[in-house]
Amino acid sequence: MGKGFLALVLHAHLPFVRHPEYEEFLEEDWLFEAITETYIPLINVFDRLIEEGIDFRITMSLSPPLISMLADELLQTRYIRYIEKRIQLTGKEIERTKHQKEFNSLARRYNANFTNARYVFAEKYQRNIVQAFKKFQDAGKVEVITCGATHGFLPLMNNNLNAIRAQIHVAVNHYQKHFGKRPNGIWLPECGYEQGIDWILKDAGIRFFITETHGILFATPRPKYGIYAPIYCPSGVAAFGRDVESSRQVWSSKEGYPGDFFYREFYRDVGYDLDYDYIRPYLHGDGKRSNIGIKYYRITGKTDQKEPYSHEMALDKAAEHAGNFMFNREKQIEYLASVMDRNPIIIAPYDAELFGHWWFEGPDWINYLFRKIAYDQKTISPITPMEYLELYPVNQVCKPSLSSWGYKGYCEYWLNESNDWIYRHLHKAAERMVELARTYSYTNVNPLQNRALNQASRELLLAQSSDWAFIMRTGTMVEYAIKRTKEHLSRFTRLCDDICSNTIDANWLTDIESKDNIFPEIDYRVYQ
Amino acid sequence: MAIDKAIIKEIFLLLFEIIKALFEMLLGKIKGWFGLFWNRFFKLADVSYGEREEEPEQEWGVTGEDEWASIPEASLVKQEEPQQKVERREDVFSGEIQEIPGNYGDNRIVLMVRDPEWLFVYWELQGKFVDDVRSAMGSMAYSAKVVLRVYDVTDIIFNGNNAHKYFDIEIRGGARNWYIKVGESDRSFCVDMGFLTSYGTFFVIVRSNVVKTPRVGVSEIIDEEWMSVKELYEKVYIPAGSGVSESIFESAHKNWLETHKLGVSSTESFNCSTIIKK
Repeated sequence: MGKGFLALVLHAHLPFVRHPEYEEFLEEDWLFEAITETYIPLINVFDRLIEEGIDFRITMSLSPPLISMLADELLQTRYIRYIEKRIQLTGKEIERTKHQKEFNSLARRYNANFTNARYVFAEKYQRNIVQAFKKFQDAGKVEVITCGATHGFLPLMNNNLNAIRAQIHVAVNHYQKHFGKRPNGIWLPECGYEQGIDWILKDAGIRFFITETHGILFATPRPKYGIYAPIYCPSGVAAFGRDVESSRQVWSSKEGYPGDFFYREFYRDVGYDLDYDYIRPYLHGDGKRSNIGIKYYRITGKTDQKEPYSHEMALDKAAEHAGNFMFNREKQIEYLASVMDRNPIIIAPYDAELFGHWWFEGPDWINYLFRKIAYDQKTISPITPMEYLELYPVNQVCKPSLSSWGYKGYCEYWLNESNDWIYRHLHKAAERMVELARTYSYTNVNPLQNRALNQASRELLLAQSSDWAFIMRTGTMVEYAIKRTKEHLSRFTRLCDDICSNTIDANWLTDIESKDNIFPEIDYRVYQ
Repeated sequence: MAIDKAIIKEIFLLLFEIIKALFEMLLGKIKGWFGLFWNRFFKLADVSYGEREEEPEQEWGVTGEDEWASIPEASLVKQEEPQQKVERREDVFSGEIQEIPGNYGDNRIVLMVRDPEWLFVYWELQGKFVDDVRSAMGSMAYSAKVVLRVYDVTDIIFNGNNAHKYFDIEIRGGARNWYIKVGESDRSFCVDMGFLTSYGTFFVIVRSNVVKTPRVGVSEIIDEEWMSVKELYEKVYIPAGSGVSESIFESAHKNWLETHKLGVSSTESFNCSTIIKK
């Protein structure tokens, strides 16, 4: 054993976007891009590490909406259509670029990547890549943790404990259904924590959660080891704090690795670059130019004159950056171990979609990092938070403070003039849901009422997704986020009114059940 | 003679200014009277929507013997949602048009914490309810302003009169929510919405929940308590019912390191990134 531990945590989440009422839908591409560029490359990295017997540990939160979409037949079918179109396009690209050596080799690489993605998705894992993560978990290499049922930002739920509890319990039950066990840990949506939430986690059998740096550092009483060891909340649930140093090296727009000039440029996509008539068949129905996922240039520098991308050179950089990251963690651990009376743990959490989707070489970086950690040093060992708790079961008791990993560290990103109008509706809907659950828990409900009550829970959960407020604030795709918020709230309101007046429209209910089909097993009594 | 002319000119200008000032005062009065009549007969607070500029320095007072109007409510409130500036896309809007309630028939005010310095409050009031409060106020209603009274209720059970301190924010127009700068972390707050008369009497319309701003900075409490949780989890759980700003993190981290006199390894610097947190 070395002197300390590194826990790499990847948070994988996308909002529930599924529109059977349309033949194709732009926002469904979010999932397809993430499958192609992030989840499958990560799966390939993990598979290879296991095949070659290289020990590694990674903690991944797979949010319930993401799992639901990955396990959904309609979206699985649509993904195959998506990837096949890309394979077809790269076939044309190989032909088109046959006299341009640099681009031609890239076109071949994309063609190989997409073909591999299709194979891994459709054949190797039989369309359900959640099974891949379950396999890695069963092998003891990946610890899959859960998240809020729909990624609802808990500190802005107005202390409605039943509503917060529903977000947690629905997620835990959903996890159990897919992984055959209860989750040890949870990624609190947006790392949003406020005092008291830990009791709800405790109640759901959750052992630990990840929190933002200052959630731990500003805890009361002062945590002896800062963020380099977990603390126990008064409930006994452990909180692990995000390490600033390792975050900055990957995230920072100034110092982060992903901005290296040799890495692939995200914003130069053939969807925008190539001749319109040529690319038109691969765009969406409205014909607007959009990202296709084929990008030929490297970041190059602060210039519009981008140079062609070289994957070999980028891989060298990824290896170099992995070495640098490891070196810095070694130094950090050596120092911490010299001042602490136990082996420190460094928690390095990131959005999973950063790796591969935004930072194309990210999965390779992870691959190199674990290989180097296994062969090139003896100071740090990869670990999961749960393993650390088993190693060090006695920890200091502190109350973490309100915090999130959003802009400025609190609630502002989800509560500002672009999105504050949603909260009066979300709070009211949650209160009505709790009231309904109480009313109909002690009376006989007929099957139709039962369905309507369950659907009302789904609509509320979907409306609570923090993604909508987030998108309203970022300013792109805003109309979609507003539409989704209003859609779920209005469906909820109508269900609620219809249940109360006993005028449930069975046809309409069937229709929205088929659209918002997340959590088929939900029981509305979770709100009582 | 030239000098005399100049003096006379000055005097005229001065007189003109005085007359102008008097006229403006008169106009202000007339506006005020008009406002009163407007309130009296239309029961609407005037004011344009959306002026939610930061309240600068708050003057804290001490909780007085305010009258608690047990009868409650007001229509200070436009019911539409703020206009969303959106570019429409055909497929997004081709389906059924989803409308959400503009009003739930409630009389309430809800307080939320945004960060260690700012609170957010929204309210919903029914006209009848506000009218009842107004009638209870009798003649004092004429000059009354609608205000949010923000109380510091840290570590007390607030009864309306025992706050450590408070300040008022005048609410104008069809506002339905407000951002309140309290500027104090680790304190508890409660907000009343009510009428403040020109005599200084305060009539409460609705009272909010209590919220607490988070602490900023490393705790002064250094008592250590340690525990092991194994036994807590040794039971079977039954399912119920069946872009990142680094400033706060960095300063928190530095703060902690200083407190603990720890250093961390330096990092090499890297090139500019185009990554945006999704």
